[in-house]
Amino acid sequence: MAKKKIHIENSVRRLRFNNDEMTQQELADLVGISRQTVVAIEKYKYTPSLELAFKIALAFNKEIQEVFCISQ
Amino acid sequence: MNMNIKLRNTLAEITGASIAMIWMWYNLTEASKMTIESISKVLAQGIGISIIAIIALTIVINIFSSVITGSYEKNIDDERDGLYELYALRLSSAIFGISIVTILVLLGWFNLTINIGLIAITLSGFIASIASLLLKIYLYN
Repeated sequence: MAKKKIHIENSVRRLRFNNDEMTQQELADLVGISRQTVVAIEKYKYTPSLELAFKIALAFNKEIQEVFCISQ
Repeated sequence: MNMNIKLRNTLAEITGASIAMIWMWYNLTEASKMTIESISKVLAQGIGISIIAIIALTIVINIFSSVITGSYEKNIDDERDGLYELYALRLSSAIFGISIVTILVLLGWFNLTINIGLIAITLSGFIASIASLLLKIYLYN
């Protein structure tokens, strides 16, 4: 299989607003990361590990594929 | 510029290491005439100065920042910090490793004096450390 770079997108920002306008700091405290990491994830500058991605999905009570997806 | 605690601590480390390097530079201007014992003392004192300067600057900068912003920012280390730390460590190891080999070659084949070799090894450690900290600043931005 040829090496192909994939671009992972997320809907963390939208989900935060749909969850009573949760702040970045509140999400960071919920999953045990810094606010700067939440900012980096929302701006697609950092792709979280599988474990952290699951934690974020759990914080929103969603399946992981509802939060993270591959852009075509 | 909006600086978070990671950037503030990294800047404090760079400043502390730079202060120690400058101090060592001024105390080693006569290195070729100095004995190996006196050079070793200056280098050991320089390392001590860098540790004390980094601790003091980190405390002062964070207190100053808390007073200005009126809030205390917790320093939370997560997986992103761990990853950036690894990138920085890889860079500093590469720079220090190349420096050690170069200095050993110069000592072995090109008549570099042991005094200068000792100074060069210590300073290359500081330069490797500063380069890794600059990489961290770039990654955090």
